[in-house]
Amino acid sequence: MNALDISSITFRYEEASVFALKNVSLSVPDGRIQALLGPNGAGKSTLMRIVTGQMRGYTGEVSIFGTKMPDRSALLSIGYAPQPISLYTSLTARENLRFFGAMAGLKEEQIGLRTKNLLERVGLSDHAEDQVATYSGGMQRRLNLAAALLHSPKLLLLDEPTVGVDPQSRNHIYDTLLELNAAGMTILLSTHIMEEAQRLCSSVTLVDKGEVIFNGPMSGISDLEKFFLEKTGRGLRDD
Amino acid sequence: MINQLKELIKKEMLILLRDKQTVLLLFLMPVALIFFLSLAMEGVWADKLTGRKIQLVIQNESESPKANLLAEKIRTNKLIEEVQRPAGMNDDKIFAEGRAHAIITIPKGFEDSEKPVEMYFDPVIDAGYKIAARSLIISLTVEVVMGIDNLEMVVADLVTEKKKPNKEFPTPLQQNVPAYAIFAMFFIAIPMSVGFLKEKKDGTLQRLFTYPVNTNLVILGKIVPYYIINVFQFILMMLVGVYVMSHIISFSFNLGEHRWHMVPVTIVVAAATTGYGVLVAAFAKTTEQASTLAATGAILMAVFGGIMMPHILMPLMMKKLAMISPMYWAHQAYLDIFLRDASFGDILPRLIILTVFAGICFYIAGRRVKWI
Repeated sequence: MNALDISSITFRYEEASVFALKNVSLSVPDGRIQALLGPNGAGKSTLMRIVTGQMRGYTGEVSIFGTKMPDRSALLSIGYAPQPISLYTSLTARENLRFFGAMAGLKEEQIGLRTKNLLERVGLSDHAEDQVATYSGGMQRRLNLAAALLHSPKLLLLDEPTVGVDPQSRNHIYDTLLELNAAGMTILLSTHIMEEAQRLCSSVTLVDKGEVIFNGPMSGISDLEKFFLEKTGRGLRDD
Repeated sequence: MINQLKELIKKEMLILLRDKQTVLLLFLMPVALIFFLSLAMEGVWADKLTGRKIQLVIQNESESPKANLLAEKIRTNKLIEEVQRPAGMNDDKIFAEGRAHAIITIPKGFEDSEKPVEMYFDPVIDAGYKIAARSLIISLTVEVVMGIDNLEMVVADLVTEKKKPNKEFPTPLQQNVPAYAIFAMFFIAIPMSVGFLKEKKDGTLQRLFTYPVNTNLVILGKIVPYYIINVFQFILMMLVGVYVMSHIISFSFNLGEHRWHMVPVTIVVAAATTGYGVLVAAFAKTTEQASTLAATGAILMAVFGGIMMPHILMPLMMKKLAMISPMYWAHQAYLDIFLRDASFGDILPRLIILTVFAGICFYIAGRRVKWI
């Protein structure tokens, strides 16, 4: 069974003249790390928002481990770390994780145990009681990832998880993702860092102007950046 | 589901209470306003409304028996307080330093009706106050000249005053405590709308919807904490009014016979204020817009609604205009309880108007708000 099946998704934002997504279809097999690449404005984040139940008004179908959206119970199978640091900065790391754990329907004991484990895993145990506003960019990114992992999802959607972080935090995040995948978690990774995609992912989906323009294994691509520019062109994107 | 709601409320409370500026705005600002404005109003109330004694310098230049009798009648009148002229101080300086309201001179020749009693008033004295003082001196002079012991008793069959306790005019505390409690309660719209827009901007609200959380639960989680804060604001202001301010200024804070009617009024006022908050959140596009819109709206409602200027002192046109402000209905409901011992039936129309206001706010916001 595929972790994620997206079939013929078409979507246009209110008052927009062009479609953000046009007849997009892709599948992510269970247990894989798949890259979702594309220039700015290609539609990657919109696609992720549709999959995570944030957007309505699209046509097409989304299935998560066989459960069709908008059945919101499917959302419990997904962990989502959005590109902006989506955390409450005046709350501590522990309070943030506790809150998101409760939203995922976890019980008190589960939240306590998993919060402890995750804070250790992302290297934030010593800062668990500090307000997130006092964290560095790298620490916030790691906590952003931890919040997505709290309810032990089977499919992890990551939207540029290493943007703006130092090499130490970036490598820590890479190691964490590889460990999670080795433990059976499926990951869909949206990124602009080609080296990151090539290092972590076994397959790649390339989208541009709301359409899938390539879908295939990473193994056949020797230089991902060159391949990306060949497929999407060298012209600047302003949107 | 209950646990989710509990956590949503807890999260909102923690964010709110960790923002020191918001806490100052919601709790310290109204306390300070009540404190300073009640002190400021104390003097005005004493002068204009409760008849503070008229302070007079009495100059008896005649020293004749008639003049002495008049001077004594003025001196011993219960509405008059005699002030001694400081040595060498002229009339203008006495007024400039606020030592007296008027100077009464009984000249030589008064006893033979050759010269009249002279009254010299402080030029900035209130006109009504001046008329009252003038009438009093005239009455006392007539008594002495005509040889009447008590003019008021003589004319009692012709003119009499019907008295009843003043149930219309609030004391400074009865005016200011509910007024600035309501004012601060409406200021909840600032943290409420700013918090909502900040969550949208930060992406935390969007993230919330990636979990299987009911939208109605999220709405409740956004409203209930502010509702609770509103109720606490009112309780705090009342405690300040009853237990602190009533010991500081000379006016009492009578809560009326049906003080428990404050409970339904506060519940409805809090619904109106949170409704206003969600309305601002639904219309504002940025946090800056939200805070400006919420504050400006609250200040305008206060200006019109008899919060900053007591409704009873407003000219007729402004009194009618006041009715467009929900703060007017809220304030009048509290004044009904404090001044008029209003029954629940008496305050019900005001509660219905506030409920309709809240309902309209929630309805418009519900149709307009974009959660993501």
